[in-house]
Amino acid sequence: MFFHIILERNMQLHPRYFGRNLRENLAAKLMKDVEGTCSGRHGFVVAITGIENIGKGLIRDGTGFVTFPVKYQCVVFRPFKGEILEAVVTMVNKMGFFAEAGPVQIFVSNHLIPDDMEFQSGDMPNYTTSDGSVKIQKDCEVRLKIIGTRVDATEIFCIGTIKDDFLGVINDPATV
Amino acid sequence: MSGEEEENAAELKIGDEFLKAKCLMNCEVALILEHKYEQLQQMSDDPMNQVSQVFEKSLQYVKRFSRYKNPDAVRQVREILSRYQLAEFELCVLGNLCPETVEEAIAMVPSIKSKGRAYDDEAIEKMLNDLSLIKKFE
Repeated sequence: MFFHIILERNMQLHPRYFGRNLRENLAAKLMKDVEGTCSGRHGFVVAITGIENIGKGLIRDGTGFVTFPVKYQCVVFRPFKGEILEAVVTMVNKMGFFAEAGPVQIFVSNHLIPDDMEFQSGDMPNYTTSDGSVKIQKDCEVRLKIIGTRVDATEIFCIGTIKDDFLGVINDPATV
Repeated sequence: MSGEEEENAAELKIGDEFLKAKCLMNCEVALILEHKYEQLQQMSDDPMNQVSQVFEKSLQYVKRFSRYKNPDAVRQVREILSRYQLAEFELCVLGNLCPETVEEAIAMVPSIKSKGRAYDDEAIEKMLNDLSLIKKFE
């Protein structure tokens, strides 16, 4: 899910940026530093939408750098366990398939794909029901439920399932 | 770390910080990101170079999965759903997935049927009807 939240960060600024454009420089540096990063707690920072407030700077001993506490509003994407969302299938193999929902990767293992769907190899590997009516392949849109998340320093990785009511393929690029 | 362990969106356990935060539906994110992208476009010739991969992927994703395209419809969806005393998170899941039946809505947002919430099937049905009307008239 996407959220609009307020975060805070201590920004260090080199003295050469002090002057009339100090605030602009801080904002530009903040965007460069923060946008696109990911933390386990807040998820992916997609875009900064505004600066809430810039606190008083503090000169750091010995360096001349000044630290400013900056509060900013941003759009973040944070996946949650138990959340249901839509995603695009990016890769299918015999272990299961990978899907992408915005910046986050989700793996759905073949144990969490309905039992009546079988893996078919070939140049377009896919999972198909025995009657061929439903097919999961690359670029399909699926609705899935996140059942687990793994967080490391720079990425969040999710495990999903489509073995539940109202989950599975929403549309198949081949039939549209 | 124990707080992390108990997180479960189906029971609306998403941590205090996010429960109080403003949730955004995909269509709202699309409006925000497109606006920002246009601003960047005015400043430089090659905006795709300026933005992070996270931004690019998110923009593609929300464009693909926006149920409502026009800004007025987006505003109406939020207004209608907010009449039903839903949590922000529930509101956005409903707005994103647009369930068609009461059963589907409960499967998508199990917390609306949890203890202490006074939703009967009729109320949910009315809510879904209101939603599909916006879609129809968009």
